Amino acid sequence: MPSEQDLSADVVIVGSGVAGSSIANELARAGISVIVLEAGPRVDRQHFVENFRNLENKPSYQGPFPAVPWARHPPDQVTPNDYLHTTGPDAEAYQQVYLRMMGGTTWHWAGCAWRYLPSDFELKTRYGQGRDWALKYDDLEPFYYQAEVMMGVCGPDPKVEDLGSPRRQPYPMDALPISYAAQQFRKLIGEKTPYRVVHEPQARNTRPYDSRPTCEGHNNCMPICPIGAMYNGSYSVYHAEAAGAKFVPNAVVYRIERDSANKRVTAVHYYDPDKGSHRVTGKYFVIAAHCIETAKLMLFSADEQSPDGIANSSGHVGRNMMDHTGVQVSFISGDKALWPGRGPLETNVIDNFRDGDWRNERGAYLVHMVDDNQVDLATQLAIAKGYVGRELEEQIRYLASHTVRLFSHNEGLADPDNRLTLSKTNKDILGIPHPEVYYKLPEYTVKSCEHTRGLFRDLIGLMHGTDEEWTPGYFPQDHPAGSTIMGTDPKDSVVDGFCRTHDHENLFIASSSVFSSVGTGNITLTVAALALRVADTLKKELAHA
Amino acid sequence: MAADRPCFPTSIHRSTPNAIRLNRALRMSRRDALLGAFGAAVVVTGSRQGMAATAEQDTVVPLFMALSQRLTDRDTLDPRIGNALYAGIIHAVPERRDQIQKLHDFMAGGNFTSAHALAAAAEHQDPVFKAVIQDILTGWYRGLADHKVVVYRSALMFDITKDAIYPKTYATGGPFYWTQTPPEVAVPTGEPALSPSKLVIEPT
Repeated sequence: MPSEQDLSADVVIVGSGVAGSSIANELARAGISVIVLEAGPRVDRQHFVENFRNLENKPSYQGPFPAVPWARHPPDQVTPNDYLHTTGPDAEAYQQVYLRMMGGTTWHWAGCAWRYLPSDFELKTRYGQGRDWALKYDDLEPFYYQAEVMMGVCGPDPKVEDLGSPRRQPYPMDALPISYAAQQFRKLIGEKTPYRVVHEPQARNTRPYDSRPTCEGHNNCMPICPIGAMYNGSYSVYHAEAAGAKFVPNAVVYRIERDSANKRVTAVHYYDPDKGSHRVTGKYFVIAAHCIETAKLMLFSADEQSPDGIANSSGHVGRNMMDHTGVQVSFISGDKALWPGRGPLETNVIDNFRDGDWRNERGAYLVHMVDDNQVDLATQLAIAKGYVGRELEEQIRYLASHTVRLFSHNEGLADPDNRLTLSKTNKDILGIPHPEVYYKLPEYTVKSCEHTRGLFRDLIGLMHGTDEEWTPGYFPQDHPAGSTIMGTDPKDSVVDGFCRTHDHENLFIASSSVFSSVGTGNITLTVAALALRVADTLKKELAHA
Repeated sequence: MAADRPCFPTSIHRSTPNAIRLNRALRMSRRDALLGAFGAAVVVTGSRQGMAATAEQDTVVPLFMALSQRLTDRDTLDPRIGNALYAGIIHAVPERRDQIQKLHDFMAGGNFTSAHALAAAAEHQDPVFKAVIQDILTGWYRGLADHKVVVYRSALMFDITKDAIYPKTYATGGPFYWTQTPPEVAVPTGEPALSPSKLVIEPT
């Protein structure tokens, strides 16, 4: 471990995921000294790929990524959980998974790189629901593009397929050609419904880009792209290191130290795996440790100066927990063979329900026809049905080629009662409490899910489907947001429109934790855009300093 | 307050002067899984038979292979995979060794010309044979035994779908192969041979 004297930088960042690593990269390239403290270990891609191939339960997104004891993460989406303890009437709907390791949770995202819609930032003003952000779409648009260039996002030409988020520049790469299964689904929806299927923008290479290869369609974006054709945070780590940023793995930050006026952060303290404590000083600090771990750290850092936690004069740290709640169904299509699972996992979306006047009553949603290889599930199902021999092989081929899976992202809503706290009964080996989340689905989201179920029933009918298997209840989509919510009023929000905490002038938060609403698109591109905006602010302020 | 118990030695990082060694400690290797299964099989068969047997020397292995060929309606199966599957199956459930032997005796005592005929009659004879048959089929078709991956790419489920689709992480069709039209599949006409079981989907 480096000595304390070595640990000082202009900017100290907690967390090495897409947010922390992209800020580090921007700052280091501008000649600013940066230290990034990552709680988890540094592990290379090939080991995750090997772990996946040796995994019995292949759909387990967490399976290839075993946690270390000093930086636990949820092992799965099962309630009760060994790490993320959820309570309340809809506890299972908030059983999120995420990763604590160098590069962050984008090791196992599907690369879906949506911009939010302009209306997503003005939910209260336009629809009288939830909250507005303290920024507008136009404020973020240049940073959306910067994030798309950084990640390498492919997407459709807006003149041909307008996704509703105005663009000043085309996507860095052409849209990914969709699979045969998605082509058939798109044709059916176009001909038989008033809806449309659009190309999903993706951080996935449709040509060699950023020294990474073109996607080869291994169908394993989650849990691990085997060739690096899909962006994840580790690439920003590598770029940042090449530019001079210093990354420290296995560094579990547990305390945020402030000056006597409690206005400026002066240092963060971290434990190494032996619980040796280290102090890291800096001029600016960024917490970029994932929505759940960020709030946990700020609450655990409570002291005499801030008895309710850091940056928490509003009492909103840990509140307003949101997600994209999911509805999911699988069924056997009665039409021609589709063979889903050829190509990337998620490539196409029904986007008609992302916005509309009805958002004054129920939440928005989008629908994925998931292009997931169904061979293993088909085999399990055929064996369970009692088939053997030749008949078993016929069944496997039929089920693998005709199984269709639909799922949705349904819009959550900020509710202060949906709250993260520190567990009073469980702590890790360093003595840091596990996170606990109380969750009750907003009625707004429940209504949205009911609408989705109706749509899914219609689609099953259109595809002459049988053997419906509905995922019971509501399930989490691992897009947590809101725990350090953004707003203009310091009395009811934690950060301002630049992601600067209201309470501490040199402390920023770069995470989905600052989201004031959660919209429908996957959250990562917006996290990256906000992070790059934080980097822009820091560069300007450090230049003036 | 309950503190976490370490899942492996917390001093592991001390022996890791570089990231690679830590990575090695954190990963699960296929070799470890296979050797673990074989090693355990040696212990089981050795203690039960009073000899230093290996899985390959177990006299039930040829019976397992013969049963496997009948239950898959195939003339040839890879004996190396068969050895590993057998070792895993009897490690997970030691009683399976005797059950496999009895199921083979049952097969030998009849004239079963198909997997369907054998499986239906066997379950009728003794309900435990259903579980034995499904262990064998899970092994060959999914490549799993004793909750471990014995083979991945070589699992039969991928052999019978290779004209259409690749095992995850092993696509070799080149960029955008997925836009091409895959083969049509006729509606199956065969019936199940065994009584149905409830399928429990493992969590993500």
